[in-house]
Amino acid sequence: MTRNLQSSAQASSAALRSFEAQWRMRTADALSPVREQAMMRFLKLGLPTQQDETWRYTNLRSLAGHSFSDAPRKTRGEIEPHASVSLLDAKERAATLLMVNGYPLLSATDTTVNGIEVNTIREFSRLEPALMRRFLEPLSDADQQRWTLLNTALFVDGLYLKVTTQAATPLVILHVSTGDGLDNVAYPRVIIEAAPDSKATIIEHHVAQGEHTPLSNSNTLIALGRDSQLEHYRVYATDAGATHLDSLDIRQQQGSRCKQFTIVLGGGVVRTSLEAHLGQPGATLDSYSLLVGHQDRHVDCVNTVTHGARDTHSHQTARAIASDASRVIFNSKVIVNAGAVHAESRQSARGLLLSPSAEIDTRPQLEIHADEVKCAHGATVGRLDPDMLFYMLSRGLDRDTAQSLLVYAFLADVLTDMSVPSARASIESALISQLPDSQVLRNFR
Amino acid sequence: MLLKISDLHARVAGKDILRGVNLEVRAGEVHAIMGPNGSGKSTLAQVLAGREDYEITGGTVTFEGRDLLALPAEQRARAGLFLGFQYPVEIPGVNNVYLLKAALNAKRKAAGEPEVDAYEFLTLIRQKMKFMQMSESFLTRGVNEGFSGGEKKRNEVLQMLVLEPKLAILDETDSGLDIDALKVVSAGVNSLRDPARAVVLVTHYQRLLDYIVPDQVHVLSQGRILKSGDKSLALELEARGYDGVLGQVA
Repeated sequence: MTRNLQSSAQASSAALRSFEAQWRMRTADALSPVREQAMMRFLKLGLPTQQDETWRYTNLRSLAGHSFSDAPRKTRGEIEPHASVSLLDAKERAATLLMVNGYPLLSATDTTVNGIEVNTIREFSRLEPALMRRFLEPLSDADQQRWTLLNTALFVDGLYLKVTTQAATPLVILHVSTGDGLDNVAYPRVIIEAAPDSKATIIEHHVAQGEHTPLSNSNTLIALGRDSQLEHYRVYATDAGATHLDSLDIRQQQGSRCKQFTIVLGGGVVRTSLEAHLGQPGATLDSYSLLVGHQDRHVDCVNTVTHGARDTHSHQTARAIASDASRVIFNSKVIVNAGAVHAESRQSARGLLLSPSAEIDTRPQLEIHADEVKCAHGATVGRLDPDMLFYMLSRGLDRDTAQSLLVYAFLADVLTDMSVPSARASIESALISQLPDSQVLRNFR
Repeated sequence: MLLKISDLHARVAGKDILRGVNLEVRAGEVHAIMGPNGSGKSTLAQVLAGREDYEITGGTVTFEGRDLLALPAEQRARAGLFLGFQYPVEIPGVNNVYLLKAALNAKRKAAGEPEVDAYEFLTLIRQKMKFMQMSESFLTRGVNEGFSGGEKKRNEVLQMLVLEPKLAILDETDSGLDIDALKVVSAGVNSLRDPARAVVLVTHYQRLLDYIVPDQVHVLSQGRILKSGDKSLALELEARGYDGVLGQVA
């Protein structure tokens, strides 16, 4: 099937031309109408630039000159065992679903795991095309959704999970990025639907294998039915050469509760967005961000939470640490729509600078169109508290230990709210390895 | 001589606070340092513990004959010096007991001893907590997190009892305590008294000295010890005030 895109004249950069070329290579499927719209919009709007509000701090100009091609499909045998290391003890997880460069590699037993139905998006959209289209729509031209448009157009397959009961043990999705050469791109797509009254914990863990990590343009949609509960983690532990552009969309129905953890412990450039829509009364979102800047890492985290109904609640807790020459950005925005009375929101963002050349930027925003709402926000960026440090030294602790403990303490607000002990433990130990060189700290103090 | 301070001068933010302090403390003794607000009492305590915000502009301090001022704070602690803070800082997220265990192990390591056994440590700390009439919840809470003023002071004394310092400097450990808490804290301090150790109490009030009887009382004013005496000096200060007593000196 040949495709003729009106907008192709505007595909001016090598990157856009390569995305368009990928699009031309795709075969038609049940989702083609929505994909075509997404592609046209993406090509028309182009790559986001620093003129776009939510991209002010992240310059993607270097991507524009690259000509991207699809990251390869892999077989299970090609995935090194070490890349399958899970965040969880085997006894604490129901299963690990493997996705390599966005392609699900399911085993025969993966169809229903502990109350969670597992399917590929390809298969599911053959069975339920109308339902699947509803998950992909509406398309948005907003700049923080730019890469979602491209993902929607170009993802080949993905995972569709439906939580149908109260699942007792967490499910892990292990995303492995592994390229054959430079300039590969992958489009991982995950859709998680929680049926009314269901409950589950799902952990998405992003790791890399090999030297050439593809550009990852990933997207996850979480649709929470009435009174359902989900604890969701997205953990980035790729290598320093990786660029990751990840979007998470959360749609919540009446009385649903979502606890979401965004944890950046790896990657070179990591951009995460969260768009949550609390569309019905009583929906509650607790969002936690633990952002670790290390070496030259650039982390840009953008959250937008819309209160679209009465009695909705959102709490955002972000803790950022930055060492070496890293940069961490956390921007959050809460919008309370007209009619969303008794909405309650809290934004708490704190940054800890551990080196003189590190940078943290944070800006909480509020946009309120309703009366009788309770909205609070606070943001601070600082250094280690000298009083706390002296107290610990005066008890005989060496400086390295004291400083490490204080960094931990700073992150505790996020860590202590994790409900899965072994996930917390592995995240903590990954954190330790990235605590800054004590010598640097000493000079900085 | 356990502690010998000779002509100690210190300043902070360009301001001279200590202007020639002389003090000798022998093992087995309890000294009380009293004085009006702003006299330099807390500065002296912090300087001895190794706070780096203060600039030492003159004088010497030896601890068991070693140059104390040459040591960083953590090494002073491991050598057996303990500061009970006037305002113990809250450190949410760092477990109270974890800190104490790390502190004890740091000291043991410096002395060439093995780390404390986890079970032994818990037994020890439970026993000391009972003595200090502290509830079990202190085991799980963050360092001083959400503690009342009195609880923080008890926690300071608890740490002192576990670490068994050779020299404890207690900076206004009595302030903000009700009479029951004062008795508990005093009993804690008295339990540490032995011929090998010494205590320096920095206090505003004579009241504490009813419970912890000092061998010597010193009056610090304008950065200098202007008068020293036995425990009766504290009573005299109580009766006549600093101006009354120090007026005599001048």
